Amino acid sequence: MPDTPASATPSNSTGRGPGTVIVALYAVLALAATGRSVLQITEYFSRAPLAYVLSAVAAAIYLVAAFALATGRRTLATAACTVELVGVLAVGLASYAAAEHFPDKTVWSHFGSGYGYVPLVLPVIGLWWLRRTTTPPRT
Amino acid sequence: MIPVLAYAVTALAVLWCGLCAWLGWRDRLINDGVLLVAAVLEIGLVVLAVLAVARFRQIDPAAEGATFLAYALSLPAVPPFATLLAIREKSRWSMIVGVVAGFTVAVMAARIAQIWSLYA
Repeated sequence: MPDTPASATPSNSTGRGPGTVIVALYAVLALAATGRSVLQITEYFSRAPLAYVLSAVAAAIYLVAAFALATGRRTLATAACTVELVGVLAVGLASYAAAEHFPDKTVWSHFGSGYGYVPLVLPVIGLWWLRRTTTPPRT
Repeated sequence: MIPVLAYAVTALAVLWCGLCAWLGWRDRLINDGVLLVAAVLEIGLVVLAVLAVARFRQIDPAAEGATFLAYALSLPAVPPFATLLAIREKSRWSMIVGVVAGFTVAVMAARIAQIWSLYA
């Protein structure tokens, strides 16, 4: 398959170069969050329904972000990254303010400390990457 | 059996990670050696997942057993997906995907071994 020049496929540029690594990181987080939330919800949902539902929501959003970045769907990717950033900040704060609702670690609680703060850093990197790969206006 | 296999898988993942880092450093793309390591790693991860399904109930706090099972079932997805991304990408970043994936597998497999030796 011949390589198409980058200028011919501007919409797909988010999944190339460094973007490949960002997609991989999102996929890893999606995997981690999905595995954890499926077990939390099926095994002991009643202990902290709110935290576990948020885990599942986070997992879904990471999947959407990975898919959108890999396929160059900018609007969707921007939306997903923004929701993540808001989510990790809101749940991070809530997990300190209302600790009784978050007995177990979830992806977003304590600003993602259980995952090396990757959930906090990744949406920022994602949004920066989306901005950076925007095709500059032609002269 | 489980800790031995988990540590063997960890070592392989570190090897995979290092190999990818070296290739990335030298600005090379994915080669047969990396593919072979990834394939052997994948076999190890599938066996580990099967063993984990059979024995995770021996782990005492159920929460730890659930984490153990989640990790063991998630891991086999990593090498094929990383390989796919690495083949698709035709720049130095191709092998950096392998570095990230190898590191992830190493950490998760080491955690599996640790949970098993602490709680089983």
